[in-house]
Amino acid sequence: MKKKVGVYICHCGGNISDYVDVEKVREAVGLEEGVFLAKTTIFACADSNQKEMVQDIVDNELDAVVVASCSPKLHEPTFRAVTERAGLNKSHYVHANIREQVSWPHSDNKLGATEKAIHIVRSAIAKVILSEPSEPLEIKTHQAVLVIGAGVAGMKAASSLAKMGTQVYLIEREHFIGGRISHWDVLCTTDETGKELVTRLYNDISSDKNITLFTGAELIGSSGSMGNFTASIKIKPRYVKSACNENSFEKAISACPVEVPDEFNFNITKRKAIYHNFPSEYPHAAVIDIEHCTRCGECEKVCPQIDFNQHEETIDLKVGSILIATGFDPYTPHEGEYGYQVIDNVITLPQFKRLVANSDENLLWKGKTINNIAYIYCVGSRQVEGENKYCSRYCCTTTIYSAIRANKKFENLNHFHFTRGVRTYGKQEELYHQASKEGQVFFQSFEDDLPVVEKHNNKTIVKINDILTHKMPIETEVDLVVLVTGMVPRAENNISDILKIPKGRDKFFNEIHMKLRPVETVIDGITIAGACQGPKNVVESINSSLSAAIKSYSFVREETLSVNTLTAVVDASLCKICDACAKACPFDAIHPVNIGNKEVAGITESVCKGCGMCLPVCPENAIQLTSFTDNEVEQMIDMLARD
Amino acid sequence: MAKTDLKFGKKLKKYGAVDFNACYNCGTCTAVCALSNEKDSFPREMVRYSVLGLSEDVKGSLKPWLCYYCGECTAYCPQEAKPGELMMSLRRYLTSHYDWTGLAGLLYRNLAAYLVAFTLIIGGIVGLYASNTFQFEEWMHYGHLFEMLAIGGVFAVIILPNIIRMWYSTVWKPTKKFKLKFYFKAISELLVHMFTQKRSLSCDSDTKNKIWWFEHFVLVLSYLALLFTTVFLDWFSATNTIVVVAGYVFSGAIFVVTTDFVIRRMRKRSEKSTFTHPSDWFFVIWLMLMGFSAFAVRLLVDFEMLQSTFWVFLIHITVLVQWALIIVPFGKWTHFLYRSFAMYFDKVNKLSK
Repeated sequence: MKKKVGVYICHCGGNISDYVDVEKVREAVGLEEGVFLAKTTIFACADSNQKEMVQDIVDNELDAVVVASCSPKLHEPTFRAVTERAGLNKSHYVHANIREQVSWPHSDNKLGATEKAIHIVRSAIAKVILSEPSEPLEIKTHQAVLVIGAGVAGMKAASSLAKMGTQVYLIEREHFIGGRISHWDVLCTTDETGKELVTRLYNDISSDKNITLFTGAELIGSSGSMGNFTASIKIKPRYVKSACNENSFEKAISACPVEVPDEFNFNITKRKAIYHNFPSEYPHAAVIDIEHCTRCGECEKVCPQIDFNQHEETIDLKVGSILIATGFDPYTPHEGEYGYQVIDNVITLPQFKRLVANSDENLLWKGKTINNIAYIYCVGSRQVEGENKYCSRYCCTTTIYSAIRANKKFENLNHFHFTRGVRTYGKQEELYHQASKEGQVFFQSFEDDLPVVEKHNNKTIVKINDILTHKMPIETEVDLVVLVTGMVPRAENNISDILKIPKGRDKFFNEIHMKLRPVETVIDGITIAGACQGPKNVVESINSSLSAAIKSYSFVREETLSVNTLTAVVDASLCKICDACAKACPFDAIHPVNIGNKEVAGITESVCKGCGMCLPVCPENAIQLTSFTDNEVEQMIDMLARD
Repeated sequence: MAKTDLKFGKKLKKYGAVDFNACYNCGTCTAVCALSNEKDSFPREMVRYSVLGLSEDVKGSLKPWLCYYCGECTAYCPQEAKPGELMMSLRRYLTSHYDWTGLAGLLYRNLAAYLVAFTLIIGGIVGLYASNTFQFEEWMHYGHLFEMLAIGGVFAVIILPNIIRMWYSTVWKPTKKFKLKFYFKAISELLVHMFTQKRSLSCDSDTKNKIWWFEHFVLVLSYLALLFTTVFLDWFSATNTIVVVAGYVFSGAIFVVTTDFVIRRMRKRSEKSTFTHPSDWFFVIWLMLMGFSAFAVRLLVDFEMLQSTFWVFLIHITVLVQWALIIVPFGKWTHFLYRSFAMYFDKVNKLSK
């Protein structure tokens, strides 16, 4: 119980005092029990007043302070700092808002406004009288960061973190790094190849001693919290010794009798169960696809480096922060969507890009020369029926760029783009202009009247009611239909379950605030970068990865982390460990602990956000929130309700 | 259902327009066009048909003739797709489409064909002169006879069938309607637009355009009047002072206006005169040469010097034959008729709706 409270009532120039009789407020609250001193001031936030407050607190040995002024969003930190400067614990400061809550909305009723102000200040006094001191929590940090996903975002983040001097563990689920970029031939708008970009990034990370790269490595478990995570990583073997001889390896490939669709080319080609990495994929080391390998032993006969004795292993990594850069999957159209898998010359954009990259002199699909190509836009994005309401951002540009590239590489191509409005934003607009000038044709329809792909007498026809030609029904005969598929979140991604980071309605990982905290998740210490957060192009992925790297670095920069604690507290004597609170906790902050001989619910302070979700579900009312105890809140309500 | 055909767009490019593919369908051209309205919306629609290669829709449309090429659309086009030039090229294309001989298209697409045809005529005249078939008096006589025959022949064999073809493409084929009374009702459109080109006055309200319209108006009337004077009043042999003076006035006016038009096309100060297709040059220069040479011939007649400077008459007759056999039936001259017939047919179509 505080007995010497200082109360300051601010005029805010006239913002408050024009409508609230501040003198009357001072007189009224000055009589409250525990109030030692009550003053009015023209500007409470003014430097002179701040100095006076410090002097008052020291001279009169005040033990708590209330300032009645503007919104706490604006000046609560200011006055909290004033009380700290005077030697008080910052919990002994309570802010009363009599501007946004009183003078501004009640400017038409001065008497009522004054009355309301008195009640609000009284309730603040009631709270500050009951306030308990709180101390920040100190956490010892592991000065290392785990980066999940070695695509363009993950690699850039890893290299940026390592340059700041932090240990980085970079893990990649696949056996080759590079992610989606390694698939692409030439990238807009710099005309660099995916290989060039991946090579530069790989050189950066492999030459940096601070970075440890694990391929075939997957996160399978995590414990701990900000500054102090333990991540369990499962590492799959390659079944090929790292010192693989190129010649004998080539022999092993030709000896392998198993053929499976090649995911690298989005299944338009086949590869063996033992396969060579593509030039744009690193590290340059071979791998056996053990799922499809029949263990026939043919490869072992010609290649001594093959080693089926390698085993899966699990390691634990101690890190202070986790940066997630797991990327995206291209949307897979369902069977029959614009003829996909029903009409044999309907393919997706990634398949088309691989087809163009793999073809040399002629552009062929199933042995037939391609001249006329239709592109159906927004497949899997901006869906009317489906769940993907978002725009995938990159596809318009990529499609147009791919068509321009194809024109450079092959002759006699005609391109027909069936769009829902072209979104080649920024500098990418020039590509659209270029494509138009080349004679590429753009149609447009709205979501309620989409184009139709049909096959008649061995002819593939795309029909559209083109809104650019007063909705005239127009049909175009083509040799190949390319479905411009957007981005969707990675399939089989259980990272959000393991790390408990939320997903948005679009199923991508969610940031805290799209504009102001764009790379942080609600779990302190875990950041997100690149397309795992939502559709992004390379430039945007790199931007977000650099920003996530800096944010992750802020968690591991110092040996200790200091955290303000507004947390739930369990009264061990009342707790009967029913588990209701643990279930209600969205942050996994509650686990059973032993206190004395009794097992009770224990709250991990560094994980608890003080959201209060556990409070109402406790049948024993054994949980309180620091600074918002039942007693404090009840007293405040009593004061507000007093005549 | 309409089918895309990119070859059509490539074909159109041979008629002059090369940039229309850059169009991104903003519609600025249609918005700034003073002649385009809700019923007759162009030029974007025509750009779109050309990009997609909807040749049937182009052939059935009268809209290219409703444009008088003020050039505002081209000036405001953010993509520099030059819609005005496309409309001009579509008129050339349609002229070729209406022409049953196919020669109009050949000449529009190939400058070489033009030059060959012109040279053949020069060769013919020079050959005829060298062979001494005709005496001086006969040249004058047959020259005049040729004029009358050429007018009748070209009209009966080329122009009339072509106008019927135009009617078939733009009226019969799209509407499948024929009511004679509408053709009587709309006849004033034909005459007004043929002789006044009043529609071009609404193109752009500035004075420069009005001056251009006036010059063009004077040119059309002078041309028709000179035609009448030379053909029916036999100006070169006439003795009536009024006829002689009228001939001087008309041919002089033609020369002055066409000279100004040539200068405009060389200076390229307005959008209208920036792009000049070979057929435009031939049209305006030959008209200028006609006015000048006719004036000169009659002057020599009056001074009784023609016999000693007979080459002037030879030049005049060469220009005349080239004009009558190439430019009138297959060149830009036809816009005089197609434009006014387009207004006429458009009115008929609207009445039958």
